[in-house]
Amino acid sequence: MPSENKSYLNCVHCGKCLPVCPSYNIDFNEFLSPRGRVRIVLTDYADSLLLRPGKIMESMSTCLLCGRCEKVCPNDVNITELVANEKIKLEEFGRKRFSSDKLALNILKNKRKVLLKSALKIANIPFFKKLSGRNSPLPEGKSFIGKRDLIFNADTSLEKSQSSPLKHGQVIMQSADEDGKNIFKAGYFSGCVFNGIYSQISIDTVTSLTKNGVEVFVPKMQGCCGLPFISSGDLKSFKELAVNNALAFKGKKLDYIVTSCASCSYSINKLYPKYFNENEENYTEILDFSKKLISIWAFFNELKKHGIEIKKGKLDKETKAVFHIPCHLSNMPDFKPVTAYEKLIGEPGLIADKIAGLKLKPLKYNYCCGNGGMFNVRHYDLSKKITKRKFEEIKEAAPQEILTSCSGCIFSLKDQSGIVKHNEVIPVNHLIGIYARSLRGEK
Amino acid sequence: MDKKLINEFEMMLGKDRVLSETEELLCYSYDATSKDFMPEVVVFPLNGEEISKIVKLCLKYNNTPIVGRGSGSGFSGGSLPLKGGVVVSFTKMNRILELDEENMFVTVEPGIINADLKSYLSEKGYFYPPDPASYEFSTIGGNVAESSGGPSAVKYGVTKDYVAALEVITGEGEIIYTGSKTVKNVSGYNLTQLFTGSEGTLGLFSKITLKILSKPEANSLILVSFNDINDGFNAAISLLKLRNRPSMLEFMDKSSIESVKSIFKSDIIKITGNFLFIIEADGSKEEVDKSIGEYKYILERFSPVFLFASEKSEDKKAIMDARKAISPSLRKYGDLKINNDIAVPINKIPDMLAFLEETSKKYKIPVINFGHFGDGNIHVNIMLDKNNAEMVEKGGKAKYDVLKKTVELDGSLSGEHGIGLEKKEFMKLKYDEYYISLLENIKKVFDPHNIINPGKIF
Ligand SMILES: Cc1cc2nc3c(=O)[nH]c(=O)nc-3n(C[C@H](O)[C@H](O)[C@H](O)COP(=O)(O)OP(=O)(O)OC[C@H]3O[C@@H](n4cnc5c(N)ncnc54)[C@H](O)[C@@H]3O)c2cc1C
Ligand code: SF4
Ligand code: SF4
Ligand code: SF4
Repeated sequence: MPSENKSYLNCVHCGKCLPVCPSYNIDFNEFLSPRGRVRIVLTDYADSLLLRPGKIMESMSTCLLCGRCEKVCPNDVNITELVANEKIKLEEFGRKRFSSDKLALNILKNKRKVLLKSALKIANIPFFKKLSGRNSPLPEGKSFIGKRDLIFNADTSLEKSQSSPLKHGQVIMQSADEDGKNIFKAGYFSGCVFNGIYSQISIDTVTSLTKNGVEVFVPKMQGCCGLPFISSGDLKSFKELAVNNALAFKGKKLDYIVTSCASCSYSINKLYPKYFNENEENYTEILDFSKKLISIWAFFNELKKHGIEIKKGKLDKETKAVFHIPCHLSNMPDFKPVTAYEKLIGEPGLIADKIAGLKLKPLKYNYCCGNGGMFNVRHYDLSKKITKRKFEEIKEAAPQEILTSCSGCIFSLKDQSGIVKHNEVIPVNHLIGIYARSLRGEK
Repeated sequence: MDKKLINEFEMMLGKDRVLSETEELLCYSYDATSKDFMPEVVVFPLNGEEISKIVKLCLKYNNTPIVGRGSGSGFSGGSLPLKGGVVVSFTKMNRILELDEENMFVTVEPGIINADLKSYLSEKGYFYPPDPASYEFSTIGGNVAESSGGPSAVKYGVTKDYVAALEVITGEGEIIYTGSKTVKNVSGYNLTQLFTGSEGTLGLFSKITLKILSKPEANSLILVSFNDINDGFNAAISLLKLRNRPSMLEFMDKSSIESVKSIFKSDIIKITGNFLFIIEADGSKEEVDKSIGEYKYILERFSPVFLFASEKSEDKKAIMDARKAISPSLRKYGDLKINNDIAVPINKIPDMLAFLEETSKKYKIPVINFGHFGDGNIHVNIMLDKNNAEMVEKGGKAKYDVLKKTVELDGSLSGEHGIGLEKKEFMKLKYDEYYISLLENIKKVFDPHNIINPGKIF
């Protein structure tokens, strides 16, 4: 059990967090609101009223862990942490029988071995088929990571480099490798979805990196980041996965480990350090891994800070698009926007600016997509109500393409059944996908 | 509560618009005060007819009490179900019903969030000025019930200056319509204004018609501070006498300047002096430029220690951030805050501030003050340590002293937040028995069975 977070005591019940919460906005029911959840957690700890675990779970499991509430809370109440801990607590007290997450948990747990080998094909897990039924995401192509570690050399094309032996790329940053030569090398953490389901995004991420002179190392032992587990209260599996990932990258002398999934960044940067304590085995490795992991956008900003010119690409025809800022991408406290697109969407704007022919239009609210952990699996109908509202702002901007940078958001945004007319489905892509496309088109 | 009443609600509204399980009720047991009371059922009506039926059912079942609730952001316990019973949540009634552009009125359902109305109007070139600090999350229904106001009150007034007409359900379950979309209206007693600020005790609003203005084209801010309180006071008074008075005139006294100083960092703004003002001018571009020139000219004459003016949005944000820093800066003084929103006649502000400083010294507890100069509204924050019983007791005494002094200076016990539960016991400081009996009789006219938010105000 993680150490108790007492920030619920800071809550003054002001209500500021209500209007930003996607789950509150579904039905305007405070039982499904941040303030309500904080009160339930507080009451549960104080044992002042006997609350029923099943009912507590109903409130907790409808939280998307999106963190919008925390961003506006003037009193530093760590709502997402409180919710996650409450789920863990219920799970640990063996009350998970009541949990609406039970099904998801058990089936994913049985498949953990598969996850660890990072060959997850979520759509093939029967429960996903059953639960999201009509809309289960289908794997697009075969999985990215195979039986061996992969190394991609800087500035050579992806296809060729896969089997070729390690050659050192351009010297672009001070960092000693095994041979004492100066090269710049980054690890790539794919996350289960960009490995097993949308593997093209992994290819595009690596292409974008190598084309910018970065050598990329991809260890085969990496797996799911663990977010679906912790958001279902399964701390044990979450920690196992965390250790597995940290060890997969251990000792590789990497300056950075890059991920292009916002939810993975959130899980690894924010959650990993919270659930391990100093006395635990692998604590250093976890901390080290968590510190090195960086979002693809922050990574390009690092390159820029080191004076490296980010390559420009060109689309063969002008594309009007919107960028959905994943809620889990909001951890960029020091970032100072310079260009127009940076002002519009934050860090990813640096790359958006490099794509000639891309016309980004603003979104009015940047509302949540409706995913968040496994929310759309657990509460499909509620989730779609959120996505529907998201599409009100998207439709207003009338884009040809929807871009984002989170596996969860891509899931959610691609599922447009009942939201737009069948023949008007708007394609969804990762911004890195369209960037890679523009780089390929350049030559 | 009679289970049958809950069943009848479920039959009428459907199960998904009735909450009756403990865990759900818990989430409707509090507001922004630190008191809580459990309701026995929560219902979500969609229109006036449903509210009328809800009230009539409550009358049928033993006069069960009913309390209206918007966002539950109230600072006086208005939405707390003191005697249990039914909480009527207006949050599903959040539509804009009509924008009357010719007459410049908008009609809304009570559950709409103030900020949502503002942004809807702003896109169409209109402006609804009342701006309580809670405007991003409080509802218009709650705003009308408390007659809420904010910084713009100095130029534009508060909620009561914009409510033109209401649809209200009385304590007998009857639907009445008050007011009209005319500025002039003297047919009978002015019930619209009586309901506005009634703290949800006379009836429940189901439709609200508000006056709107054209949106000002531009605005600019000034941050200025003075070492001598009298200089600051006289400078501010001079600004209020102008025909183009500021659209905001916020102040921080010595205590809040001290408090903010340590946590607020900015390259352009200095938090300094003993009396600090944030001043806004709005209007057309030319009007704003002219006003800012004029304000600066006047302010310079009172030897400010720091003066900074800007129309750039980054600078304006920095200035407003200084104001917003007060609240988080308070935490270092204690974990329990007694928050009073007294109002005194403007010319009594210096007396009041001096008295507050004395009180702080007398009880040896931090008292941090800031507020809206233009309407004499001072937020007095008595900061205490929750676990220090002696200190908490002193805090209570300090609060009594402050409210007593407020009455002596011919001020108001509450400028913004209402009496509700929080200041009920202090009503007799201000009013005699006869006056209070008049209030009670007014309530009886609208709510003869005392079921609408019983136990509040008096
Ligand atoms: C951080 C913070 C800052 C604040 N700043 C300000 C400020 O600057 N100025 C200010 O004036 N207030 C301020 N407030 C107080 C509060 O936000 C206001 O009183 C607000 O108007 C309450 O709106 P609400 O929707 O939350 O109403 P609630 O708190 O839910 O209810 C308030 C009262 O209104 C009644 N009510 C609600 N809806 C209806 C309806 N449809 N019909 C009849 N009665 C109804 C309730 O019964 C209750 O008595 C602040 C509060 C907070 C937490
Ligand atoms: S994390 Fe998101 S869904 Fe959960 S309570 Fe906060 S705002 Fe709501
Ligand atoms: S914003 Fe923070 S303090 Fe306010 S109700 Fe929400 S959690 Fe509590
Ligand atoms: S799926 Fe995307 S938008 Fe939704 S919670 Fe995650 S990061 Fe946020």
